[in-house]
Amino acid sequence: MKVRATRDHAGHDRRVRDPRTGQPLAPKAQPGYYPGFSTIRRQKFWDAATRAVVLKRVNQVPPIRFFNPDEVRLMEALAGRIIPQDDRDAAHQIPIVPHIDHRLAEGIIDGYRFEDMPPDGEAYHLGLQGVEAVAQHMYQRGFVDLDPGEQERVLVTLHDAQPPAGDAIWRRVAAQRFWMLLVQDCIEGYYAHPYAWDEIGFGGPAYPLGYMRLEGGKPEPWEKDERRYEWAAPAWAISDQFHPLGGGQATQPAGQEGTH
Amino acid sequence: MQTPLLGEFQAPSDAKHWYSPLMRLDIPMQRYAHGDAVDYVIVGIGSAGGVLLQRLAKAGFRVVGIEAGPFWDTERDWVSDEAGSHKLYWNDLRITGGKDPITLGANNSGRGVGGGSVHWAGFTPRFHPSDFRVFSQDGMGADWPITYEDLKPYYELMENEIPVAGPAYYPWGDPHGYSYGAHPLGGVGDVLVEGCNKLGIRVVAGGPIAITSGSHGKRPHCIYRGFCIQGCKVGAKQSTLVSHVPDALRHGAEIRDNSMVARINLGKDGRVTGVTYFDAEGHEHEQKAKNVIVCGYAIETPRLLLNSACPGFEQGLANSSGTVGKYLMVQIGNVVIGRFDSLVRMYKAPPAHALTEEFYETDPRNDFVRGFAIQTVGPLPIAFAKQMMVAKGAWGWGLRRVMMDYNHYAALGVLGEILPWEDNRVALAEDKDQFGLPVAKITFSMKENDKKIAAAGVKKTKEILHAAGATEVDEEARYAHLIGGARMGNDPRTSVVDSFGRTHDIPNLFLCDGSIFPTQGSANPGLTIQAVAARTADFLVSEREFASQHHPRTTSAVPRIRYDLSPGDTAGHGMPRLKSRTPRTEVGIGGLAPDSDY
Repeated sequence: MKVRATRDHAGHDRRVRDPRTGQPLAPKAQPGYYPGFSTIRRQKFWDAATRAVVLKRVNQVPPIRFFNPDEVRLMEALAGRIIPQDDRDAAHQIPIVPHIDHRLAEGIIDGYRFEDMPPDGEAYHLGLQGVEAVAQHMYQRGFVDLDPGEQERVLVTLHDAQPPAGDAIWRRVAAQRFWMLLVQDCIEGYYAHPYAWDEIGFGGPAYPLGYMRLEGGKPEPWEKDERRYEWAAPAWAISDQFHPLGGGQATQPAGQEGTH
Repeated sequence: MQTPLLGEFQAPSDAKHWYSPLMRLDIPMQRYAHGDAVDYVIVGIGSAGGVLLQRLAKAGFRVVGIEAGPFWDTERDWVSDEAGSHKLYWNDLRITGGKDPITLGANNSGRGVGGGSVHWAGFTPRFHPSDFRVFSQDGMGADWPITYEDLKPYYELMENEIPVAGPAYYPWGDPHGYSYGAHPLGGVGDVLVEGCNKLGIRVVAGGPIAITSGSHGKRPHCIYRGFCIQGCKVGAKQSTLVSHVPDALRHGAEIRDNSMVARINLGKDGRVTGVTYFDAEGHEHEQKAKNVIVCGYAIETPRLLLNSACPGFEQGLANSSGTVGKYLMVQIGNVVIGRFDSLVRMYKAPPAHALTEEFYETDPRNDFVRGFAIQTVGPLPIAFAKQMMVAKGAWGWGLRRVMMDYNHYAALGVLGEILPWEDNRVALAEDKDQFGLPVAKITFSMKENDKKIAAAGVKKTKEILHAAGATEVDEEARYAHLIGGARMGNDPRTSVVDSFGRTHDIPNLFLCDGSIFPTQGSANPGLTIQAVAARTADFLVSEREFASQHHPRTTSAVPRIRYDLSPGDTAGHGMPRLKSRTPRTEVGIGGLAPDSDY
């Protein structure tokens, strides 16, 4: 895993802050409110098939095959803003881009393509060009060379489905569809990882052991109770302010996971 | 099978095929020759196909099931992991469009033996009596060619076979009770019950769900791990893979897995002669059959008929009505998410475990017809993060922050009726799949009535979450449950099949799955799909009896309920403690006169 400096080249501090003092908080091995909770430490209680799948995910990061080197740099920068990990120490950052690259290299899809969208691989090639076009339009620099705050301001135009440049590209790959594709792929990379489960207090694989304490949010004997702390996003960040996808206009549906 | 409760888990070391921790496939599977015209070929061994395969085999027919996906060895193939369960879904390409396109794949269509029942959440409410005559009552949608009373014996039969765990008294539709015990509540159920109690809304908890609360034969009890829609490795949640396929194989059925049916073949006499399919190695075969039953669900069943166009049926096999592919439906599936100061931990317990159908029926005070249900859903982290991407517009630091609060959220699902509209449909796209077959193109838009139901459902669900103490409430629009695309009806000009699934055009071609439903109410369709399959099986068996007695064949015969076709030891067990009643009236909130005894 590549190491991210706590400050970027322009001197912007990437670390999260203590909201009372404004002082940066040191990156942690395990951010989140469940210190000491480790799903992977429970692996001997998982079934063999699950253990193999999860450990492969952790230990064998797939090599890059789909994106070219420039696209990899851009994807790393995008993933670093869509799911920032600057509060994680270098040893505990979760690889996201290799997961997306693997999916695209293997041609794995979710079972559908919007009629107005090209195939996923082409959508990525085009969408990345579109991001570059917006970055050049707004700041006259490439996305990877922008400050993190500038990068967020580029991305929010996609989130709002109103990119100010790259019209010819966005006619071939709708900005909002690309944005949702990208965010969902990043989510699948990050929240499939045991470090992310530990961060959010999710129990992870639970077969054949199961759960006994179903009500009142009570922890199992091996789970931890919550220990909250206050943190604020870096001063340059705007992504900690929620506002609706597509600027409040009707949005496309997300994937179908988790439905009833 | 050593499945230690505590201690290191060992994978099965033998070469046998396991399909739940206690169930091992050690029956040599029957093999039929391709040229041997078997009695039935069933295309797709999912919710309906699994039930049909079992019943027809048990009745002594020679049956081959052809399934596009694998015959799961659940101990080796399935994982207790969200990202690792992608393969349970139908992930082959489909093109989706229209004003309100449906996203497909994940969790709305299955692949592999058991089909969608492998990854359903397991909610098993019955349809209401009113669902069968929506057009007559409300002037919109469609009527079924059968009534609730026609299907009721099969609901009772399947609830015991599956079996369904639920409350002793279920107050909506045709009130009834469940013979297998309800489940304990999880955190999300607590929220739904708390909110409904505060608002005086009737709510049931602990079911009805197709998950065993106690051990049942070789089916272990639920361990509340929350990975229901990732495939139940425990074997507690029903899929036809565990409830019906073992009995089917015991009675001589053959299953050919990883085999994709390309077309149904029509003979010169206007009857189908069998199917052509590609096996796991991509080799093409033709299986001869006296009858073909297609159980491919709402997208693949119409697609196969359209791809089987031939002289005489240029617009698709059995499509003289032009109805194949039309009247496709989903349900409104908006997820409404509340944040609570206290911990919920919604990953525990089955996602499906409590619901209210209080707003299910047409209420004259509304400016729309039909209604919605409200149910628990328990999204795991990846699904929840995607929901938050839409519900809050979360990304970046905001996404990291809400996800750190994952354990503070409870998610409820609106399940609302979308009526059948002709222009919501399955057609063929220009794109081809790996076999060179045109893929399905789905066009979908919501109409005024559909949108009003969605809005009303979201509003009510928000009220419930606020009443339960939620400090923030957000919602995400989405769909649930495909249905329709080859609907049943009495009129061959406007429907594809009769109520037993026999195509109007071809006497030995049947369709039996969710695609033949004219409407789907606000109930999860899985139980009804299996009940319709059991009814069709009884009909096919009774038809043989008629034939052997030289009676003229009839499609209007009411088949007798063949309890002897139930898998061993399921029929007649655990009889309902409360007999259901016929509702007295169909108007008013909940569609029923208030029950003084509830």
